Amino acid sequence: MPLMYAFRLAMQSLRKDKWINILSMLTIFAGLFIISISFFVFYNIEAATRNLPEKFSMVVFLDNNLPQTRIDEIAGTLRSKHTVSSVKFISRNDAFRELKSTLRDSQYVLEGLEENPLPDSFEVRLRRDAVGSESVSRLADEARKMKGVTEVDYGEKFLSALHNIRTGVKIGGTILAIILCTGIIFVCYSTVKILFYRRNEEIETFKLLGATKGFIRAPFIIEGAAIGTAGGLTSLASVFLLYYFVFLKLTISVPLFKSVLFPAVWFLLLPVIGMFLGLFGAAVALGRLRY
Amino acid sequence: MTEPVGPMISFQNVTKEYDAQTALRDISFSVEKGEMVFLTGPSGSGKTTLMKLIYLAEWPDAGQVTIAGWNTSELRESSIPYVRRNIGIVFQDFRLLDNRTVFENIALALRIRGAGDREIKAKVYDALKTVNLRHKADSYPKKLSGGEQQRVVIARAMAAEPTVLLADEPTGNLDPETADGVIRTFREIHAKGTTIMIATHNRELYRNSGKKVLRLDSGMLAGEEVC
Repeated sequence: MPLMYAFRLAMQSLRKDKWINILSMLTIFAGLFIISISFFVFYNIEAATRNLPEKFSMVVFLDNNLPQTRIDEIAGTLRSKHTVSSVKFISRNDAFRELKSTLRDSQYVLEGLEENPLPDSFEVRLRRDAVGSESVSRLADEARKMKGVTEVDYGEKFLSALHNIRTGVKIGGTILAIILCTGIIFVCYSTVKILFYRRNEEIETFKLLGATKGFIRAPFIIEGAAIGTAGGLTSLASVFLLYYFVFLKLTISVPLFKSVLFPAVWFLLLPVIGMFLGLFGAAVALGRLRY
Repeated sequence: MTEPVGPMISFQNVTKEYDAQTALRDISFSVEKGEMVFLTGPSGSGKTTLMKLIYLAEWPDAGQVTIAGWNTSELRESSIPYVRRNIGIVFQDFRLLDNRTVFENIALALRIRGAGDREIKAKVYDALKTVNLRHKADSYPKKLSGGEQQRVVIARAMAAEPTVLLADEPTGNLDPETADGVIRTFREIHAKGTTIMIATHNRELYRNSGKKVLRLDSGMLAGEEVC
């Protein structure tokens, strides 16, 4: 019964102080909307870069005329590395054949070549979780030191850039989310604090009539949670509207956008996130009541 | 709250100071269960401070205040609301909530105690009947006269059937006829076994009442007599 009464008081207060509540709700909406858009961007960058390492490979070039036993030894050593997922031997003849096939329309490039200039090589594919610029660089160094290996080629700059982008987006997104969440908590804190001070006399009467701290706090906590939830719901609606009415239309004219993912399930958490931030802000605002 | 052993209200050598100004000095008295006591004295004599010490809005700087066997200075903060629920208070400044109807103002005391809607309705209308204000249940306090507001406060204090009823200048704003009605109401409540303490400087209220009168003067207990 007291909980029902607390709900009723909270609803009355939401109606009575509607302008301050609407303003707070809009501020929370703005914060959560920015977080959502940042998350949307981060999610797509992450998704776009997640599968790139699988396509990444390292090429280990070998001395010409290396005995088969040595070739097998090098292959065995490479396979024994925990970062390596597969090792494929590409003979110089196979490599030349593939080059010719690639340059089918530009055969003039190969004119004048009397013999195959390409060496034997290994195509080394790495495990997805091992593709970091440091581990690849370490493996390349180890391969270079092997007897019979002339050169190791891998997309060092590409890997490093990819790693930096992902890390940057992750750190930037986290910092932005923390700042905006703190802002949202502060908005809820300020709103509840103002409402609490405005009802100070009423609260004193409540106390003198024997109300417990829970009885006094409950309507404010509910109010904070309601404001947060409303902010979350508004941002959820806005994100969906933005996606369906702006983004989907863009995919028609800009094909690049067709591969963009919309993490709808994650966005459904927005009202819950708003509610928890509102609850937390209200709880901090009420602090320790004294009799 | 358990049944008190000994007096319902007990003050032992109680002193209360505000910014080095003594409001009450070395006060000792006791009020037995079911007793009706008047607290009198000129304005500024310490009547309201003494009342506040009983309903736990203030704590003594020295001495001991005991309510229904509980030493107020030793009470845990979390126990304070439960002790207050046994005390009905008729505040000098009414403390009615202007944004709630008369019904809701009285119901508040019961809602705080976790009463259900049916119980609240029955008890609020009972209390309103006692103070002859049943027809004003849906009015807002600001629409009522001073006397009517006073009676609403009394109804709120008695609706929750407290063990102790405190009234601070309950007839201060009333004409003699309404004041008589209010005092009659207190006598009826007292007849049901409630301990009552009424702070007043109106001598007419306790003259020939046959009740104990505690007289305060400049924060000291100047006399205790039966009038």
